[in-house]
Formats: sequence, C-alpha cells, structure tokens
Amino acid sequence: MIKKKICMLGAFAAGKTSLVQRYITGIFSEKYFTTIGVKIDKKTVIRNEQVVELLLWDLYGEDKFLNVQASYLRGSSGYFLVIDGTRRETLETARILQNRAEEAIGKKPFVVVINKSDLKSEWEIDTNALDELLSGSIAVIETSAKTGQCVEEIFTTLTNKMMEG
Amino acid sequence: MNKSSVPDDNNDDPDNINYPSGEELEKLRSLLLGPEQEQIRQLQERLDNPELHANDIGRDLPQAIVMRSNRDDRLKTALMPTVEGIVKASVKKDYKIFSDALFPVIGPAIRKAISETFKSMIQSINKTLEQNFSWQGLKWRIEAFRTGKSYAEIILSHTLLYRVEQVFLIHKESGLLLQNVKAESVVFQDVDMVSGMLKAIQDFVQDSFRTKRGDTLNTLEFGELAVWIEQSPQAILAAVIRGIAPVELRTVFQNALENIHLEKNEALESFAGDTSPFEAVKNQLEDCLQSQLKAKKQKSSFVLWILLSVFVVFIGILSFFPFRDHQRWTHYLEELQQIPGIVVTSTEKHGDKYHIFGLRDPLSNDPLKILKNARLDPAEVVFRLEPYYSIYPEFMLKRIENILNPPETVHFEIKEGVLFSQGSAPHHWIFETRKLARLIPWPVQYRDDNIIDIEQKKFDKLSERINKQYLLFKTNASQYTFEHKNKLREIVSDIKGLLQLARALDKNVHIQIVGHTDSFGAERANLRLSRKRADNILSALIAKGLKKDNFSAIGIGEGESSNEETNENADENSRCVTLRVIISDIQN
Repeated sequence: MIKKKICMLGAFAAGKTSLVQRYITGIFSEKYFTTIGVKIDKKTVIRNEQVVELLLWDLYGEDKFLNVQASYLRGSSGYFLVIDGTRRETLETARILQNRAEEAIGKKPFVVVINKSDLKSEWEIDTNALDELLSGSIAVIETSAKTGQCVEEIFTTLTNKMMEG
Repeated sequence: MNKSSVPDDNNDDPDNINYPSGEELEKLRSLLLGPEQEQIRQLQERLDNPELHANDIGRDLPQAIVMRSNRDDRLKTALMPTVEGIVKASVKKDYKIFSDALFPVIGPAIRKAISETFKSMIQSINKTLEQNFSWQGLKWRIEAFRTGKSYAEIILSHTLLYRVEQVFLIHKESGLLLQNVKAESVVFQDVDMVSGMLKAIQDFVQDSFRTKRGDTLNTLEFGELAVWIEQSPQAILAAVIRGIAPVELRTVFQNALENIHLEKNEALESFAGDTSPFEAVKNQLEDCLQSQLKAKKQKSSFVLWILLSVFVVFIGILSFFPFRDHQRWTHYLEELQQIPGIVVTSTEKHGDKYHIFGLRDPLSNDPLKILKNARLDPAEVVFRLEPYYSIYPEFMLKRIENILNPPETVHFEIKEGVLFSQGSAPHHWIFETRKLARLIPWPVQYRDDNIIDIEQKKFDKLSERINKQYLLFKTNASQYTFEHKNKLREIVSDIKGLLQLARALDKNVHIQIVGHTDSFGAERANLRLSRKRADNILSALIAKGLKKDNFSAIGIGEGESSNEETNENADENSRCVTLRVIISDIQN
C-alpha cells in the first residue's frame, strides 16, 4: 500500500475545503479547523493498477491572524496551492505559502489550482501573473468546486508526479 | 632529543659518539621489554591464528549471550532472522529431520491446544449466559439502551480494568499510518485519518504551547479512553486504551517501538509512502494489545440462582405430593382409629399401596367412605380388616334391638354392664324378651323393672272396674229388670275383655256373683233373697253369651257390701248384687 501526505494550501475562503469535499472520504467535522487548525481527509486514487491513498491535510485558510504551522507541512509528498480566481489577493497569499512550504519541506511537487472557474467572468487573476508560480509548479489547473470541473484531474496530476519522484 | 638520548654527557664531540649496534639494541630491548614483548607476540599470534581466535570466542560466547540477553532483547531480535532462515533452509533440505524432532512435541501440543480451545469455549458460553441472562446483563442492556452505547461497549466498560483497543505505528514526519492492529470487536473510524489527526494534534500542542524541543505529547485522555504515545526518532507508537492501564504498560510499548526501530530502521528512514515493509511488525504491535479483566467478585450468578430455584421447586414439587399424601395418610389413620368398631393393628406400604390390617365391626362406618373424604385414592389402599363384634354400647344396642325387635314404646339403655328396658310393651314380648335376653352374650344382665306390661295393666284395670260394679234391687225384688240392662251390658263387655286378657296372661279368672240384702227381714229369708238375686244376674250373664264355668253365684244376705259409696243410704244400696274377680295363675 502506498500512502502520501498532501497539503491543501491557500487563502481563507479560496475553496480548499469545498474543492475536495465531494471527492473524498472524511470523518472529521469542520470544527477541527477552528480547534487545531487542520482537518484530515482521505482520497484513494488508482495509478497503474496500484492503489494510492492520499491523506489530505486541509489546513486552515491563511490570513493575517493565523499562520500555517510549518509542522503541519512536514512529511508532505506534495501540495496544492489553491487560488480564488475572483480575488487577486489570494494569488499573493499563495506565493507566500509556496515560499513557506519550500522552506519547511524543500522542493516538492505542487499543483496550482485556480478555483471558481464557473465564475470566470468575475476573475481578477491574470494568467501572466502566475509565471513566477508556474516556474515551480507541475501544472496550473482551473477548477470549479461547484461544477466539479477538473477536480479529479488535480489529484491524478499530483499523484502521478509524486509517484515518479 | 638526541641530547637526552645520549647516555654520556661528558662526551662533547658528536662525531665520537659510539652508537650501539643493532644487536646491542636488540639485547637492550630484550632486557628492558622482554616480558612485554613476549606478551605482544602471544597476543599477535592469537589475533593472527584463526583457530586460537575462534577458541577464544567459543569460550566467551555463552557468557556473552547470557549477559546480553539479560540486558535487553536486542540479541533475540538480531538473531531471529538468522534462526528463521536456518530453520527454513533445514526444512527445505530435509523436512524429516525437523518432523522427527518435533514428533514427540506435536501430540501433547495438539492435545493441549484442543483442551484450551474447549476451555475457552466453555468460558465464553458461561460468559454469554451470564451476560445475557443474569440480572447484571439485564442492567447493562438497560444502560446500553439508555446511553445509546452498544451493548458490547457497556460490557467492556464494566468488566475490563483496561484494554488496549488499538495500536498505531505512525511515520513521525508525515503522520502516515505505517501499520495498525486492533483488538477483537473494536469498531474504529478510518485509521489513516485518525493516524494523521493524532500527528496533527501532536504538532498542534507543540506549536501552540511552544514546548521545548524534544518534548512530546505522551498522553491524550478523554473520559475512560486514553491514547498513550511513545516516540522514536522516526516513528510514533500510539495505543488507544480503554480503562485505567498500569504504568508498566508503557514499557511494553517502548520495547515494541525500539524493536521495530531496530528492525526497520532503514525502511523508516527512507519511507516515501510504501507501507509494505511494515507488514512484518504486525506481530510486535499485537503484543501490545493487552488487557486485564476486573477481578470478579465470587458472586453466585443469577443463572445459578435460577437453576437452583428451579431445582428446589422441582424437588419441592417432587416431594410435595408424597409429603401431602403422607400427611393425608397419617391424618386418615388417626381418624380411622377414632371410629367405633374399627381397630387398626398395623399398616404397611408395599410399592404404591398402603395395607391396613385390623378388625372391623360390620356396624362401623365404611372406611372407604372416610377415605374419599380424606382425598386419598381408594385404589392405593388395601383393607385387611377381620370382622368382629364390638361391645361398643351403641353397636350393642343396635344389635340387641335387631334381636329383640322391641315395639316403638320400648327404649333400651346399657348402664354399667346391665341392659335396662323402659317403656311399655305387650306381655308376650316382655315374656319372650326375658328368655331371649339371656342368650345375648353381653351385657350379662337384663332388667325390665321399668317396663310396663300393656295387657296386664288393662287386665288389672278391667278387673278393678268389674269389682266395683253393682246392680241395685228394690226391696224384696230379685228379678233382673230393664233397669239393669245398660249396666249389665258394660259388665258383660268388661268380663269378655278380662277373660280374653286372662288367656293371654296365662291366668285363670273366676267371677263370683254375690247377692246382698238390706238388714230388714229375717236373716234366712234375706239369705234366700240374696241368693236369688245372684242367680238371676248369673242367668242374665249366661244369657249374654258368657260361659257358666267362669262364674259362681252366692247369696250372703245382709252381709258386707263392697259398695263404699253407698254408706249414706246403706239399706237401699245394700239390696244389690256385686261381682268379685278371683284371679289365679294357670299351673303348668
């Protein structure tokens, strides 16, 4: 059995939780966020006929009052950087989080997820501005937690990369 | 250096120094370091010569093994793969060697295993019975219903002192679950997520309270549930314990974690998500699943009480009927003894039947009838009663009455062995009874003083009445006249009755007809007149159908008169005829 720890990083209300909610197995309620700042869910994917269990550490949304604890990141094989397409400032948060992650766990594969693709007309994010992030990421995927668009894809993309490494 | 090594300081020219030759030096060395050199040589030889070296190791090995084994289990862990490999290889090569060696062990081992299985099966049946059917079991069911917990949980909380329900081996850095084991019947959430969360909580505590580096969270407690955490550089061993476990248990966890670390150090260090190498540590984790039951009070179980009660009731029912029958039987016998005319001499029980031996007067109450009243089954009682005559007064009277057949006016009584008769009875019966009474065996005496003879009484009455009769005549008259007619009819009727009774009473009756005159006139003439008067009445009586034999007629002149009522008119009344009844017994 292969198990991988993955972190969901992103600004407050970027849609980390709702992004994965429909596709994962969870036993812990939302209140874990407010108590210990993390909620762990499980996602099973099959890659090359091999079952891979992804333990998703859904971390409490970053804001100026609460910093993501570096210890939560330790041991991760990869992570998602979730950006809210309709809020420009979430891109900046993602950038800071990416730096922090790299400091804590070194260079690990990550996927940039631009959420809320169903509201694309309201997007404030310019794809060009993603360059910096793009250079380190393995992919930038536009998703919609609402419609489920490309949600499976972000897991398979990251899993494939992690398994290669 | 050279200076200090020169033995002679007075020699100033260095060229003139006489260095000792190699031989001399060797000599000097052997003088100074001889024994040490020999020791070094021997040591060198020991090291170089594998035979000697092996000899040394062979000498020290047993002691070394003992010392190391006493210290910890590392030697065991280290040797295990080798020993396992040796065994495997040997079996592969020739399994017969092992099977021959194990043969004497396998038989007893199998027997022991079977007996243990049976023992545990019986224990589990007992436990199930106790838990399901006991009062305590019922209470626990109610508690489970009330609290919404499962019944199994309630049982555990009451019977277990502690139990290690689950053990997690977690990769320290990632919080990923490497291996886990759980106790039987433990239902648990997704272990991977729980494992991650445990790690998260650890991190949370560490980060939130800014603990010293190296400090770790050792225990989490929540009600009766506790999580004990042991850490090694690469792994975390977390044990979920229900109840209160002894501190010594921590050592068990530490040892397990150390062993795992020793064995799987490499796998832990290079862990990148593949948990398969940790399959092998499952046994070590299972050793941590310890539990201890609460010391059970030696209380007799509810089931036992029920069984006992059923047994007692069963015995009660079994013994009740015989007991009740015995009571009824005893009571019946007592009653039987009270009945007049029944004498019980002995009783016996043969099989299901009671036998009663004794005597019974035919006049006594029927013992079968009483048997029915006593609610005993007549089929179970056999009477062996000989008939006899009881002298019980009531029976005797009954029997006497049967023999003597008294008229209703007669009443018998037995007093102090004497039979008394009372009342009135015909003469004949009285006479016969006197004879018959002598034949009755008991009472020996018969007294009929108080019995009245009806015929005799009537006879006496008639006799008396006849004696009082008188027929008056006028002066000098002697003829039977019309005036005498009514009186004579009475007299005739009485005499007829008297004569009839006399026959029954065996008596002779003679009636003297006595003629009387007044005091006037000559005595001779009066005698004649009185005689004439008597004769005339006699004739009248005969004319009425009476026999002459029973009569005689006399004249007594002016003699006494039987008629006392006539004193006032003595002369007038003395002109009469009176009757005199003379009674005598018939001489046989």
